[in-house]
Amino acid sequence: MAKPIVGIFGLTGCAGDQLVILNCEDELLDLAGALDIRSFHMAMSDNDEDCDLDIALVEGSVVQPEEVEMLERIRSRARLLIAIGTCAVWGGVQAMKNEEQREKLKRQVYGPKGKDFGIIPSQPLSSFVRVDYAISGCPIEKDQFLQAALSLIHGDLPVLPDYAVCTECKMRENSCLLLERGELCLGPITVAGCNARCPAYGQPCIGCRGPVEEANVASEVNLLREKGFTLVDIQNRLRTFGGQSEVMQVAPTERGR
Amino acid sequence: MNRENIYFPHLAQITRILPQIEDHKLFGLTFVDKSMKDNFSYRPGQFVELSIIGTGEAPISISSSPTRPGTVELCVRRVGRVTNALYNLERDDLVGIRGPYGNGFPVEELEGNNLLLVAGGLGMAPLRSLLWYTLDNRERFEDVTLMYGAKIPDEMLFKYELLSLLDRPDLRCMLTVDKDEEGIWPAHIGVVTTLFDQIEIDPSTTYAAVCGPPVMYRFVLEELLKRNLSKDRILMSLERKMKCGVGKCGHCAIGYKYTCLDGPIFTYWDAINLPELI
Amino acid sequence: MKMVKLQKKNLNAFLAGLEKFGDLHGPVRRDTNDFAFQKVDAPEQIAHDCLRTILPPKKYFTKPVDTMFTFSEAEGYRAPDKDLHTKIILFGVHPCDIHGIKILDLVFGGQYRDEYYFARRRNAIVVGLDCMPDEYCFCRSTGTDFTEDGFDLFLSDIGSSYLVRVGTSLGDDIVLETSTLFQEIGDTDRRAYKRRSAQRINSFEVEIHLEDLPEIMDLEYESRIWQELGDKCLSCGTCSMVCPTCYCYDVVDQLNLDAKSGSRLRRWDSCLFKDYALVAGGHNFRADRGSRIKNRYFHKQRGFVAQFGRPSCVGCGRCIVSCPAAISLVDVLTKLRSRGNE
Repeated sequence: MAKPIVGIFGLTGCAGDQLVILNCEDELLDLAGALDIRSFHMAMSDNDEDCDLDIALVEGSVVQPEEVEMLERIRSRARLLIAIGTCAVWGGVQAMKNEEQREKLKRQVYGPKGKDFGIIPSQPLSSFVRVDYAISGCPIEKDQFLQAALSLIHGDLPVLPDYAVCTECKMRENSCLLLERGELCLGPITVAGCNARCPAYGQPCIGCRGPVEEANVASEVNLLREKGFTLVDIQNRLRTFGGQSEVMQVAPTERGR
Repeated sequence: MNRENIYFPHLAQITRILPQIEDHKLFGLTFVDKSMKDNFSYRPGQFVELSIIGTGEAPISISSSPTRPGTVELCVRRVGRVTNALYNLERDDLVGIRGPYGNGFPVEELEGNNLLLVAGGLGMAPLRSLLWYTLDNRERFEDVTLMYGAKIPDEMLFKYELLSLLDRPDLRCMLTVDKDEEGIWPAHIGVVTTLFDQIEIDPSTTYAAVCGPPVMYRFVLEELLKRNLSKDRILMSLERKMKCGVGKCGHCAIGYKYTCLDGPIFTYWDAINLPELI
Repeated sequence: MKMVKLQKKNLNAFLAGLEKFGDLHGPVRRDTNDFAFQKVDAPEQIAHDCLRTILPPKKYFTKPVDTMFTFSEAEGYRAPDKDLHTKIILFGVHPCDIHGIKILDLVFGGQYRDEYYFARRRNAIVVGLDCMPDEYCFCRSTGTDFTEDGFDLFLSDIGSSYLVRVGTSLGDDIVLETSTLFQEIGDTDRRAYKRRSAQRINSFEVEIHLEDLPEIMDLEYESRIWQELGDKCLSCGTCSMVCPTCYCYDVVDQLNLDAKSGSRLRRWDSCLFKDYALVAGGHNFRADRGSRIKNRYFHKQRGFVAQFGRPSCVGCGRCIVSCPAAISLVDVLTKLRSRGNE
C-alpha cells in the first residue's frame, strides 16, 4: 500500500495538539516513515499547499472568516478530514464566551487595533465542513493519536472510546472525587481516553476532552445541585471546554432557576 | 498453554472472491493447516469469527454446506471495519477463522419432514448452507421449498445459482422480487409473502426456516401461524452484536440466552419468551 | 472441614511466612473510605477494617485491559506468557467476593474454557476473611453471606483469635508451613464462632426477596421504572466495573509501530454503553438508556437464574455505594415488587 499523504494544519488554538505529535519522540521516525507528510507548518518548511491529501489533521477552532476559507480549502484537498483536539472537535475554551457580542469582546481585548480583522463566534470544524473523524482532548492523548495514526496506516478507521472517564477512573481504582469528596467532577459525562489522569492525581475532571456520546447532562446537573453546587458553578464548568456543544448547555428545565 | 486456546484464529487463505450484489461478495476460504482443512465440520446455520489481523474480528454466518468440505464460504457485506478490511484483501491473502460457533439448524430433527425455507434480502446467506445441505442429502427430506425475495433483481444474492435451480424437480424454488422496473425478471414479482398463496403447508410434517430483515419476520410469521404451523417448528436465524462467539464477552446476551451459544437459530417460541429477540 | 485456630497477634507472622507460596495481596487503604486489593510488601500494610474494595477480586483473573494474544508475520499468534503464571496469595476476600469468583468460574468455564482466566485462578491462593455488614450489604438476601468453598483458607473473627477453616489441600500445606502458629480449636472457640455467626446474621439492615424475583421481573418488563432509571443513569459504566460478576468485554486490535504486528486486547465493557448492542450496519438493539439498564437488571436477576440457577448478584453493595446518580439496586428491586400496590 502506498504511504498515505498527510497534511497537519492549525487553526485557532494553542498548537498543543500539533506539539503532542512532535512530542512523540520515540515514535516520530517510524511514523514519519510510514506517512508522507506534505504539509506541517509548525514543523517543516517547503510545505505543499496544493496536493491532494489522504488525511488532513486539523487542530483548533474556527474564529475568523479567513479560517472558514482555509478549512474549506483543506476539506476540498482531503479524502479524510480528522479534527484533532477539543478546539477542533467542540470549539474549545474560546467558545466559552460565544453568547457575548464579538465586537465588544474584540474592543476589550485588542483595543483600536481590532478594527483590522474580523471575528466570528468560536466554532468546531463540523460547523463548516464534513468531519470524518474526531480525536478530542486538550491536548490529544499521545497514545490515542498514535493508535489512530497506526489504524489509518493499516487501512482502518480508528476506534475511539464511546464511554466516560468514570470507566477508566474505576479501572484504576481511584477514589471517587464526586462521591467521596463532593467535588465538581465531570467524569460521568466526559469522554474517556485520558486514563482518568486528573482524578488519579486527586483533581476532579473538568471535562477537557468534551462530552461522551449521549452524555446525560441533565442527570449530572441534578446530582451536582444536590451536592450543593450552584447552577452558575456547574454551567461555568460545563462550558469551559464544551461551550459550543449543545449537550453541555444545561438542560432546558434547569435554565433560569 | 496446554489446552487449545479458544481465542486463537486459524489461518485460512482466500481462494475465491465472487462478487454478488453491490457491497456483497462471497469469499471462499481454505484453511492453511491441512488437518483443519480436512476436519473442519459444521452445521448449516452456524457462524465463524472472521479475523483480519490488526483490524479485528466479526461474526459471519457460513454460506456453504458441510456436505462440500474443503472450502468454507462466507457471504460478506461491506459494512464495518472488519468487512472493509476484508474487501481490501485479494486472492491468496490470509485471514483468521475461529469456530464454528452457535447451535446451527437442528438438521437431524428436520429429517423426514417437509422443509420450507423463507429468506428475505441478505437472509439467504445462512439459508444457502441449509439449502445445499438438504439438496445434497435429498433422500432424507420430504418436500423442500425455497421462497426467496429481494427488492430488485440486482439485490438478489446467489442469483444465477438460484435461477439454475428453478427447473430442479426435487426442489420447489420460488424466487421473487418486489419490483422489476427493467422487465428482466423471469420469475414471480411481489413481496415474499405473496408466494404463500401458491403453496400448501402440512403443519404436522413441516418445518420452516426463516431469515431476513426484521420487518420481514412479522409478515412471514403471520402467514406461517395462519397455516397452523407450530411455534417451535418455525426456526429463525438472528443477528446480534458478538465479540467472542463463545459466551464470554456478554454482547449477544438476550434475556437468558446467548445468541452465540443458544442461537443464532431460535424458534418462534423462544422469540415470544425473549421480548428483545426480533 | 478441618478447622484450626490462629491468634490474631500471630496473623502477620503467619502471612509473612507465606513467601514461598506467592506474592501477598490484600486490601490497602486508598482514601478515608476507599480500599483496593494490591500487592503488599509487608502484612502490616493490609487494612483489616476494609469492608469493600473499589474493584472486586475479579481484576486478578480478568484484567481491565488484557492481552489475548500478540500477532506478527514472523511469529504468528502467541499467547501472552507474562503474568499468567505469577503466584499470588489473595488475603481478606469476603464471602460475597468469593461467591463472585465462583460465578465467574461458571462463566469462563463450560463448553469453551477461557484458559487465561483459569491459569490465573490456579495461581491464586484465596484466603477468605469474614466481615460485619454495613447498611449497603445484602449478601444475606442473595445467599452469599457464607461460603463452604471457593477458598483455600477462611478466617472468621472469634475475639482474640481467628477460626480458620481449611478448604483445600493447598490451604492445609499453608497451615502446616507455619504450624507452630496454629492451635486446635476448643469448646470456647466453638461457642465464640456460633455467637459471632448469629450476631452477624442479625446485623443485616437490608433485606430483599429473590425467590420469586424472576417472575416479578417478567411481570414488570414493561414497567415505567426502566425509563425513569434511564433518565437518571449516566451510562458511566461504574456499576459494571465494580461489580464482582460483570464480565463483559470488548475486543480491540492494537498495532505496533510497524502497523503490522500488534496485540489483540480485551477491555472491560458495560452493557450500559450506547454502542454495546450496536451491530455493523448501524442497527442498535438497545438504543435508549432505559432499555440498557433494564437489560442489566434482567441479565443479573433473571437471565442468569435461567442459565445457571441463581442470580449473578452477590449483594456486595458496590454498585450502590459507587453510583454517581445514586441508583440503588435494592431500591429498584423493592420498587419493582411493590409496583401496583402504591
